[in-house]
Amino acid sequence: MRVAIRELVRRPGRFSVVGGALVVLVLLLLFLGGLLDGLYLNSTGAVRALDADAVVFSDDARRSFLRSEISPDLAETVASVEGVERVGGLGFALLGVRIPGEEDVADGAVVGYELGSSELPEPPAPGETYADRQLAEDGAAVGDELLVGPAQVSLTIVGFVDDTNYLQQAGLWVEPGTWRRVLAENRPDALVADGAFQSLVVRIDGADAAEVRDRIDEATGGTDTLSDDGAIGAIPGISEQNATFTAVIGVTVVVAGLVVALFFALLTLERLGLYAVLKAFGGSSRTLVLGVIVQAVVVAVTAFVMGGALTVGLLQVVPGEIPLQLEPSRAVSTLVSVTIAAVVGGLVSLRRIVRIDPASAIGTGV
Amino acid sequence: MSEPALQLDEVRKIYRSGEDVVVALDHASLSVARDELVALVGPSGSGKTTLLSIAGALLEPTEGRVVVSGTDLTGLSSKQRTSFRGQEIGFVFQAVNLVPFLTARENLLVVAEMNGTLDGDTKVRADRLLDELGLGERSGNQPGALSGGERQRVAIGRALMNEPRLVLFDEPTSSLDTQLGEQVMELIRGNVKERGVGGIMVTHDARMTHHADRTIEIVDGRLDVPA
Amino acid sequence: MLLASREILRAKVRFGLLAGAVGLLVFLILFQQALLGGLVTSFIGAVDNQDAPVLVFNEQARRNVEGSFLRDDQVEAVRGVAGVAAAEPIGEATYTVEAGGELVDGVLFGYPLDGPGLGAPTSLTEGRLPTAPGEAVASAADEAEGFAIGDVVRVVGDGGPEIEIVGRGEDLRWSVAPTMFVDFSTFEQAQLAANPEATAVLPSLVAVRPADGVDLDVLTDRIDESVDGVEALTNDEAVSSSPGVSAVNQSFRIILALAFGVVTLVVAFFFLILTVQKAKPLTLLRAVGAPVGYLVGNLVAQIVVVMLVGIVIGIGLVLLTGSLTTGGAIEVQLEPGTVVPTVAGLTVLALVGGLAAVRRVLRIEPIRATVDTGSELA
Repeated sequence: MRVAIRELVRRPGRFSVVGGALVVLVLLLLFLGGLLDGLYLNSTGAVRALDADAVVFSDDARRSFLRSEISPDLAETVASVEGVERVGGLGFALLGVRIPGEEDVADGAVVGYELGSSELPEPPAPGETYADRQLAEDGAAVGDELLVGPAQVSLTIVGFVDDTNYLQQAGLWVEPGTWRRVLAENRPDALVADGAFQSLVVRIDGADAAEVRDRIDEATGGTDTLSDDGAIGAIPGISEQNATFTAVIGVTVVVAGLVVALFFALLTLERLGLYAVLKAFGGSSRTLVLGVIVQAVVVAVTAFVMGGALTVGLLQVVPGEIPLQLEPSRAVSTLVSVTIAAVVGGLVSLRRIVRIDPASAIGTGV
Repeated sequence: MSEPALQLDEVRKIYRSGEDVVVALDHASLSVARDELVALVGPSGSGKTTLLSIAGALLEPTEGRVVVSGTDLTGLSSKQRTSFRGQEIGFVFQAVNLVPFLTARENLLVVAEMNGTLDGDTKVRADRLLDELGLGERSGNQPGALSGGERQRVAIGRALMNEPRLVLFDEPTSSLDTQLGEQVMELIRGNVKERGVGGIMVTHDARMTHHADRTIEIVDGRLDVPA
Repeated sequence: MLLASREILRAKVRFGLLAGAVGLLVFLILFQQALLGGLVTSFIGAVDNQDAPVLVFNEQARRNVEGSFLRDDQVEAVRGVAGVAAAEPIGEATYTVEAGGELVDGVLFGYPLDGPGLGAPTSLTEGRLPTAPGEAVASAADEAEGFAIGDVVRVVGDGGPEIEIVGRGEDLRWSVAPTMFVDFSTFEQAQLAANPEATAVLPSLVAVRPADGVDLDVLTDRIDESVDGVEALTNDEAVSSSPGVSAVNQSFRIILALAFGVVTLVVAFFFLILTVQKAKPLTLLRAVGAPVGYLVGNLVAQIVVVMLVGIVIGIGLVLLTGSLTTGGAIEVQLEPGTVVPTVAGLTVLALVGGLAAVRRVLRIEPIRATVDTGSELA
């Protein structure tokens, strides 16, 4: 084992191919993962900020936050279901937002809500809004009067909230009346009935969540109640993005393993003579294979560190609108998968090493 | 009289490939005493490499008995032979002897390291060997920074590290000039005598055979002078 | 190229391993392109593959089709702009529809059939375009979900229209949902069914066909200036400005660039190391009179051979994956338009990477063949 490490330390050059390839593959994996996480977080922030134990949609809306409609009567029925602690209405309107002093129109998601949460303060006064931090990056400040939609409905920012976006559009959290006004003036074709909401946020008081969800649907006869994870998964595009990116990431990890395998096989080939001699001296195949695996792991971890550092550096220069977010969990899973791939790749040389005949160390033939 | 370092009894090695039968070694019998240096000479294809391999527990004979320092090698598994080599036999190969990225000292210690038997005693022994071989100053150098003669001396040191009963040399002086060759041969002979180690030297270098106690010729798999 | 081929044949395993690594990386790149490209297409295919070269949005909509809606007077104003041969309203919205016995998301793109037919889908592969209200061309990808030719889907809601699928088109999805191109009146019906309280039905966009010889950019500028509250975009601009698409595309470009980088690095280092190891025989050859150009030529030939074999392996793997995944959730298909430039680019990069080895060859001094370098160690 120490011999294997000495080789790494004293002859790093011969590992430069596999090391360099792994560094770039780590970069690739971190970027892919960062993009997936960024897209996911930026699209689902609003729903995750609700602290909802369940979300109620009308059953003809196919779980769409925008197309669902819940009447006040329905809301009351839901509130009276056993296990339901609190119910709050929810309504969305996706519109362009004009920030004073800025030229470009920003993407906004006006959300009318009733229940505060750990991420959201209680709804502000009519005409006021809590804006997502994303708008601050676009140039907005507390006190600014935003003009929302073509009808230019004005909303005054009274504070910022974090990670509350919906489908990459900045969250603008308002009290229900304000939301209805925004909708009526901007999207008369998407209006809901008086007092109605698009969906309901439900907080459950410790009872079994799945049971309460079923009970709600039974009681109303016209709703589709999902857990908050279910509601997140129903946001358009999320599951397809997840599936696609996960597939690409998976294939990349497999390729990384195979590339490592191929290059360690090459390295083994070049060292056949040396291995034969070591075996002749009394070294076992086991020791030699272990040495290869140790080298593979060290190379993988080193490549990860270098790739990770490069990624962090590159993230600084990447333009802001690319939704890249490096999550610690992603970094860890990348390290683990690359290391496993490297170990498996190194193991491929196992058979070759076992087959080396120590007798071949002697001279040049019979 | 203690047991011989090596005893070969009627050893035969036969290779078959399709219809052809090659008899690499034919009824070879040989006995090498514990402080005896034997030179084995013969043309290419004469079987000297095969004999060396069999004596070194690298190859199993088709027939016959191989006894190294009292241990019969017949029927040992590959693992057992590996372990036996590590403990009882020393090798100085022709082409590859040293691990290129390890220092001279580390090269001496490499087998013990691989088998996990490295301890303080081993290191002391290595340093002593290096001193005796005149390599005390150069022990921290990698082979690339050593001269041809120095490399050969390191190889000999490594072969002696496990205090073997039998050391096998494959063309130890073929790449050295006469003066260096003489030096190395004196070193080999000295060590064989002092340590009571049996040595077999395969060589075609006629200049050097006078260092050996006996010279045995091998032609077409047959030894000329029986034990 | 005798030397090159002999060496490859003599060291088949070595070169085979490198070609294998290249093949895997080629597969990775093509796989990523196919999958990521497919993802983008499932978001914006419908707009990409409709026949209007210019689309007019609500200025406030941030180039977002969902957020865009125009008044009738704006539609008229666009019609009157010089250089506009025809302008028709387009309505887009997502609904809950009943298809194949289930409730699914469905997108409608409504365009007026009683007109020049502007806004019709261009990638029809089976069936025909709608000729009357209640007929539709549907995205081919959703055939199995109840959107095959002959199927009837219904928009959920009071008075929701029934729509019969009469044609299929490739790459017509919008927002990853099954999409149907219908008559504008069908769109209006659907809007009223889904939003009973709506006071009006507004079109989302105006599709514009320019008059002969009119430059698209000139026309879009003119429309912006002449009509209040609108933003005109060419079809390509509309597609790439869809929210998130440009950001995602940029990211994909970075990712692909990294993958290209790996191939270059791997090939470069391999051949460099190989060349360094062959220093002695190469020096010998130079000493006996082989011209530098010959040795370099051999090196280049080897790189090309390795790349060709690797590319064949990579494409083979993609085709294999494609045959295993057709009809599944994730489709992997090769498009000659992307594959050819990709493999050509990879080969060029590999040759660029080989320059390091070439430099090494050029630095060989024939005189060194006469220097005795002593015994060789492993």
